Amino acid sequence: MPRYAMVIDLQRCVGCGACSIACRNENNVPEGIYWSNKITETVGTFPNVRYHYIPTLCNHCEYAPCVRGCPTKAMHKLDNGITMHDPKKCIGCKYCEFNCPYGVIYFNWKEPHQFWKNNKVLFKGGTSSPREEVEKVGAEKTPYFNPERGATLPANRPKGVVEKCTFCDHRVSKGLLPTCVEACPANARIFGDIKDPDSDVAKLLGKFRPFRLREQLGTNPHIFYIRDFNPAQYRPTKGGI
Amino acid sequence: MSEKKGLYGIWLVVLGIAILIGLYTALKIFIQGHGLFNTNDVIIWSLPLGVYIFLALTSSGLTLLAGVPLVLMVKKYEPFAKRLVFLAIATLLGAFVAIGLELGSVENMFWILFSPNFSSPIWWMGFIYSVELLVLIVKFWRMHKGDWHSGFSNALGVISFLLALIAPLMIGSVFGITESRVTYFGSMMSVYSLVLGLLSGTALFLLYSTIFHRVTGNGAVERQTPLYNEFTVIFAYVAGIAVVLSLVKFAIESASTVPEFLVYHKFEHAFGAWQGFHFEVLLGLFLPFVLLLIPSVRKSMGGKAVTSALILVGTLMMHMEILLAGQSHPVGPKAEQYPAFISYFPSIWEWLVFVFALAVMLLLYTLGERYLKLAEAPQ
Ligand code: SF4
Ligand code: SF4
Repeated sequence: MPRYAMVIDLQRCVGCGACSIACRNENNVPEGIYWSNKITETVGTFPNVRYHYIPTLCNHCEYAPCVRGCPTKAMHKLDNGITMHDPKKCIGCKYCEFNCPYGVIYFNWKEPHQFWKNNKVLFKGGTSSPREEVEKVGAEKTPYFNPERGATLPANRPKGVVEKCTFCDHRVSKGLLPTCVEACPANARIFGDIKDPDSDVAKLLGKFRPFRLREQLGTNPHIFYIRDFNPAQYRPTKGGI
Repeated sequence: MSEKKGLYGIWLVVLGIAILIGLYTALKIFIQGHGLFNTNDVIIWSLPLGVYIFLALTSSGLTLLAGVPLVLMVKKYEPFAKRLVFLAIATLLGAFVAIGLELGSVENMFWILFSPNFSSPIWWMGFIYSVELLVLIVKFWRMHKGDWHSGFSNALGVISFLLALIAPLMIGSVFGITESRVTYFGSMMSVYSLVLGLLSGTALFLLYSTIFHRVTGNGAVERQTPLYNEFTVIFAYVAGIAVVLSLVKFAIESASTVPEFLVYHKFEHAFGAWQGFHFEVLLGLFLPFVLLLIPSVRKSMGGKAVTSALILVGTLMMHMEILLAGQSHPVGPKAEQYPAFISYFPSIWEWLVFVFALAVMLLLYTLGERYLKLAEAPQ
């Protein structure tokens, strides 16, 4: 059985957000919820400042606090290492969201995709209302509805349960890469079986010293970050007093 | 007499209205979801959960007190035992109302039985409190039938006592094992929960007894004054332990440079902290503790009522303070969506959940007093 992991090459990542957009479309992610997200940071004092961008998603931790704490095993591990959620078993206690050290779980506080129920048109006779668009496309809840998501998870999750990234388990089980990996124009996301020494993931981890988020917590996250985007040059110096 | 009957009728009508409003609230939450709460993906757990923690721990405290005559066999407290067990049941039912309306999908609850996760403190908490409720109900039924000390009845008393000891530890560990939120103090949260449970349980019993005495003019309370005075001494001791734990907690908070702890220095919200001072602890714990050190306050009915009322409100606020402080800043990438620091005030629907839980509890108290001879003791 493979153990899936992802390497994110921060030197290649240009912070375009294509991963997050692709993820929304693939997984029918509701407004306000982010399966694929980012941590941005500006360091230094003007004019010596620099911007950092770290793409984030569920780390599919080996010792996942979200799984450990879930009272009904709705949040559970698959044999391939993916941390998976079953909304049918979820009682909406939100303990997993409370427990996840990485802030990647969200709760459906209300019925998702409410925007698309709206009947209002911007220009009468000119534009269609969100609801008309959905009806015209014949989709479920949103015009960009992806029914394939429904293979392993309700394609649209109901209110009252949590949701998060599943490493696109529905694609992976068919031999396809997670959609964020496919969508990345810079090939900054590398996905594969960390147990296979010939996988690109395993090779990269042997070549660079990766870091992981909040490693000290002992969760053994399976998103590895390598390198850093920093083309800056500086004149060799010993500083001064 | 008829004036009393009139007041009793009004009281029942008030509780009935509160319960109807509560049912409407439940329906509304069920249909519209928890978007009705002032919560978000940073402040995840709010007033309904705080109320649950408060009531569940109070119920454990009451059960532990009932254990004094029923398990430790201190016979002179037997006249309190039946009432204590009943109050524990009613308070726990109030707690269940609050948690039921906090959960997103109550309809999936049966998975707790069919897909249990034994490594989850939430599972253990739910399991222990459910079993405790059942055991308390059976114990109460045995006592009501006059069977106080048969082998079976004693076993029920011991089991409920043990469950009441473990349950607060479980509530504490729900927070204590959250490695990502350091302000929840690891194992100290469990000890703290147990102590606060015993404190609010004792406070509730004393306040209830003094109000009951006032409202009914029942002389029994006066005849039992020495016993109540002894309970008040237990109360003062427990308050003292809570004071010590709170001081240790403050010392850690104020000495720590861990960023999450700094929240305590700047936290301002509706639950007592203002300008860096924890008023809920000062007024809801330290002040009543100091008052309880004065013998005349301890002995007077008014003193008992004031100190226990202050402590009841104080413990609820302390639970809220701890609950919110650990959630006030967004975790990881959520900082992209939310401000660095989030304050919270309950929405009307959250207050109504609180009212619903209280109304259920108070209605049960009222009916129990009326029909179940709670002052009974074995011959
Ligand atoms: S990142 Fe969070 S949600 Fe994902 S496996 Fe780890 S603890 Fe669970
Ligand atoms: S919200 Fe659902 S998935 Fe998360 S811990 Fe509770 S039951 Fe499990």
